[in-house]
Amino acid sequence: MFDVFPPYLVFFIGALVLPLIPNDARRGLVSLVIPIICAYQIWELPHGLHAQLGFSGWELTLLRVDKLSVIFGLVFSLAAFLSLLYAWHVRDTIQQAAALGYAGSAIGAVFAGDLLTLFIFWEGTAITSVFLIWARRTQGAFATGMRYLVIQVASGVLLLGGVALLYRETGSIEFNAMTLGSAATWAIFLAFGIKCAFPLLHNWLQDAYPAATVTGTVILSSFTTKLAVYALARGFPGTEILIYIGAVMTLFPIFYAVIENDLRRVLAYSLNNQLGFMVVGVGIGTDLALNGTAAHAFAHILYKSLLFMSVGAVLFRTGTAKGSELGGLYKTMPLTMIFCVIGAASISAFPLFSGFVTKSLILSDAAHEGYYIVWGILLFASAGVFHHSGIKIPYFAFFAHDSGKRPKEAPTHMLLAMGITAFLCIAIGVYPDPLYALLPYEVSYVPYTTTHVVTQLQLLFFSALAFTVLMRTGIYPPELKSVNLDTDWTYRKFLPTFIERISTSIANFWMVGGWILQRKLNRIVKRLHSSYGPEGRMASVWPTGAMVLWIAVILGATMVVNFV
Amino acid sequence: MSLNTLILLSMAFPLLACVSNLIHGENRPNLRDGITFLCAVASFSCVVAILVINGNASTQPFTLWEVLPGLSLAFNLEPLGLLFALIASGLWCVTHLYAVGYMRGNNEKNHARFYAAFSFSIASTLAIAYSSNLFSLFVFYEVLTIATYSLVAHKGTEEAKQGARTYLGILMGASIALLLVAVVWTWVLAGTMDFVPGGILAGKVDPTLTAILLALFAFGIGKAALMPFHRWLPAAMVAPTPVSALLHAVAVVKAGVFSILKVGVYIFGVDFLSTTGASQWLMWLAAFSILAASIVAMTKDNLKARLAYSTVSQLSYITLGMALATSMGVVGGGLHIAMHAFGKITLFMCAGAIYVATHKTNISQMNGLAKAMPVTYGAFLIGALSIIGLPPLGGSWSKWQLMVGAADTGQIIMIGVLMLSSLLNIVYLLGPIAKGFYMSDKDNDALAANGISEAPFWCVAPPVLTALGCIFLFFYAGDIITFIEPIAGGSN
Amino acid sequence: MEPRKTDPNKLPWLGRKLLWLDNMRNVDRIVYSLYALCAALFLADFFYKKKTYLDLEDVPGFYAIYGFIMCAALVVCARGMRTFLMRDESYYAPNDVEAEEYPEDQLEREEADV
Repeated sequence: MFDVFPPYLVFFIGALVLPLIPNDARRGLVSLVIPIICAYQIWELPHGLHAQLGFSGWELTLLRVDKLSVIFGLVFSLAAFLSLLYAWHVRDTIQQAAALGYAGSAIGAVFAGDLLTLFIFWEGTAITSVFLIWARRTQGAFATGMRYLVIQVASGVLLLGGVALLYRETGSIEFNAMTLGSAATWAIFLAFGIKCAFPLLHNWLQDAYPAATVTGTVILSSFTTKLAVYALARGFPGTEILIYIGAVMTLFPIFYAVIENDLRRVLAYSLNNQLGFMVVGVGIGTDLALNGTAAHAFAHILYKSLLFMSVGAVLFRTGTAKGSELGGLYKTMPLTMIFCVIGAASISAFPLFSGFVTKSLILSDAAHEGYYIVWGILLFASAGVFHHSGIKIPYFAFFAHDSGKRPKEAPTHMLLAMGITAFLCIAIGVYPDPLYALLPYEVSYVPYTTTHVVTQLQLLFFSALAFTVLMRTGIYPPELKSVNLDTDWTYRKFLPTFIERISTSIANFWMVGGWILQRKLNRIVKRLHSSYGPEGRMASVWPTGAMVLWIAVILGATMVVNFV
Repeated sequence: MSLNTLILLSMAFPLLACVSNLIHGENRPNLRDGITFLCAVASFSCVVAILVINGNASTQPFTLWEVLPGLSLAFNLEPLGLLFALIASGLWCVTHLYAVGYMRGNNEKNHARFYAAFSFSIASTLAIAYSSNLFSLFVFYEVLTIATYSLVAHKGTEEAKQGARTYLGILMGASIALLLVAVVWTWVLAGTMDFVPGGILAGKVDPTLTAILLALFAFGIGKAALMPFHRWLPAAMVAPTPVSALLHAVAVVKAGVFSILKVGVYIFGVDFLSTTGASQWLMWLAAFSILAASIVAMTKDNLKARLAYSTVSQLSYITLGMALATSMGVVGGGLHIAMHAFGKITLFMCAGAIYVATHKTNISQMNGLAKAMPVTYGAFLIGALSIIGLPPLGGSWSKWQLMVGAADTGQIIMIGVLMLSSLLNIVYLLGPIAKGFYMSDKDNDALAANGISEAPFWCVAPPVLTALGCIFLFFYAGDIITFIEPIAGGSN
Repeated sequence: MEPRKTDPNKLPWLGRKLLWLDNMRNVDRIVYSLYALCAALFLADFFYKKKTYLDLEDVPGFYAIYGFIMCAALVVCARGMRTFLMRDESYYAPNDVEAEEYPEDQLEREEADV
């Protein structure tokens, strides 16, 4: 059927077969083997266009293999393996199948050679992932899942609409680099932007990720947004507006992250901030910048999963992930704490950790290409990310004031998953060459220079100094049980209230209008009655039947006049 | 066997089933239901045989009965009609099995009368599908209305009678007051009533009148449930669920949009419509209907009522496809007849299965039911995703095709309407499913504890079958497109 | 849960070692070493040849000053944002934030449906 078997189909086959396997360690094993098979097959794929077939009258390319798609395919398989290991204990068949389908869709989208195939998998990621949110089984999670799904599918249908228009324009549905201009390309751009959590389109991310299950959030954090980054890198490299969008994206979430109480939402904000770096890389669009985007996405998936895993383990053990409820957990969950700190060091780009060797690719290229203000913003964002992800998360979860909670250490499989991820974070930081070799373009970048190490350490330690000083002087905002207004206010508060107002006033209008109409009709009937009724003048001359008829006719006419 | 014999046979078998039901009555139910099923299979086989022999060619009409010179009941084959006949007769087989499970599991009364009317409705639906001129179409359209009337009123309660009155009132009223006028007018204008590829009206009417004539057709064919002539469809939901599933999601409503497509393609002609722009207003009305019906659906707590409004919305996709007056749009509309049929019949059958197992009709009472009925809910999910238009299910192709059609005519707003409709569909179709899977409800937990589980086998297997059909259609949509493409007659 | 006295013997090995942090004097020690480290890093700028793209970077301790000032500004701004962005947890819906029951006795589990 195919010249080359699309590796991601393994995930779908797995999702179908899974319910037939006894729901214990055996099922866990099968689900762990699947990403390994997939990764191996991706590794072996010959470059070029494969698995092309005519499908419902359209020429689809199920496999477009080049270095850009391979690196994303590999890291997605890796992330799937790690999150499935972390989710070893989950016995809910729907979640298991949804996780496999989700990873498979994300990888499928990465290899899509045309826009229709992309759409199919694009929607696939939406519909499978929502079950990871609903599985939380709370009223809040249900509503959040609904909002999440609507926004995700909105992105999908925008993509579809854009493709339809593009097909009309160019007669082709191939997925190649586009230039913004027509309605078609803008629609596609917007579709990517929604999934990539562009500023003002971002709020589904912070809304949904903290609402999902412990394991669900880990899985969610890896795929959707990075898929969007890939799609942007493929479809709109070098689009200048992306640089500014990305810069804003790195900037505003860090403010929210400082005052947010739910630690998983803090991580969602910092996820958004990290996406900003990648978007800037895509916007600059040079070989170095695109390399930076791909490398940063790779490292980011790992350390972000690690952070979500460690906070998830805390949630799993204590029942809460709110900074205001936590603290002092280092005594009983020391391993989780250490893994969390490793994740924090990686996201903050400490030397010897993965963020250091990947983020600098983007930063230095921004300076190279002369985007000095953007460079300044990114530098600020780097300091800020250390501030909230690097310090705040471990500090409020594991240190700070003692909450008195003495939970058990995380279960073994979670520790194992975190351990492997932490190892990879350090390995990439210490020895980046294998990662550099995977990048789409030739790399001639040396991350470990005296200047780079010293300046980075200065930036980070003085940020830490600022944190310490503010903490000791009591200026640092305490963790409070609260929610912060974000763009979701528009559709969760403003629109519902607005619609309610409108519908109430329409209802009132109808009531008053109906009342007036009724009075008018009554008067007419009375008048008719007085002239045509039994006592009226006409009664003597007209037969009763004709009178009734007349009344009916006039009434009917009035009604028609009044209603139409 | 000649094609014409096969056509007649495919309609004769449902009539035979009807007669057999009337003869057997309530005695020997197994024999009676068995014969009906055999007739259904035989009828479907005839249509398949026609498909195999004829392919998607259009044949010469053959006259059954000439009422007056130039006014005859006549049949012929053409792709759209054959597709419709295939869907109606094929799904009848599935639905009959379901109906047996439902009627018995639910202890409904008067089975024989029910199956007789059901079979008769199928016969008239097939006759509509084969009609080769407006007159036949009109006659069988009315026959179908009357045949289904007794099904709507089947329960005999006051509510059922009220619903049936609304049903008959709107459908009959609209068809006599508007459709008949349109038919006669067309006859006067064109001098013929035959369905001819490319249309018969081109050059014979001026554009303003074309728009009015189209309005008479669009509203007169009340079965297409174009707003504001949609009220009959929710009213018909008092009927037993198999009726809602096959007739009010497939046969009757599809007869409506099928007629609209036929009128658009074979009476007006796509080119004529697109050059005169006479269908512009219909496009806007269809768009309004798509969105408004979805919004109403969101407010309904009764599952069947919600599905009914969803049908109103989805039917307007097909009307929209015709009104776009472009070959892509018309093909998309035709494709959507098939896609929606499979999706919606699945949803109705699942709603019925839930009713049989738990006697619950309201969505707010269905929290956590999926634990007890995973198979039903799985099928429901697949059907819902297909209706929404998500891959890998059939519905995504018709939506795509319609979008390409809208892009073809530069109607960006119509693309927007289709997008928005998907989102609304999600809210009202997936909400019950998510709650069924992951919310809990004390009553339902108690039910599960008491061993309440899936409905009887014959209530569950058919929706699973049609749900698989939705998946199947995703992979074979291309064949359907090539099959019905000739109707657009190369007008791009 | 009431804050309670920790029995060191019940802690995992690593946790026992880390109890060192429980002593406030040790925390102070960490803070002072951070101060010292920062000073050292600032001074380090004078002892090597910086490779820079921008003139701004040549300012001694530019990264240190930038990091400190921006972070302080970040926190102060964010604190200010609280005054008009912060709402009660039940602002959107009564059970919007974490409503699931979380029985205490299940927190020790090794396997569960989560």
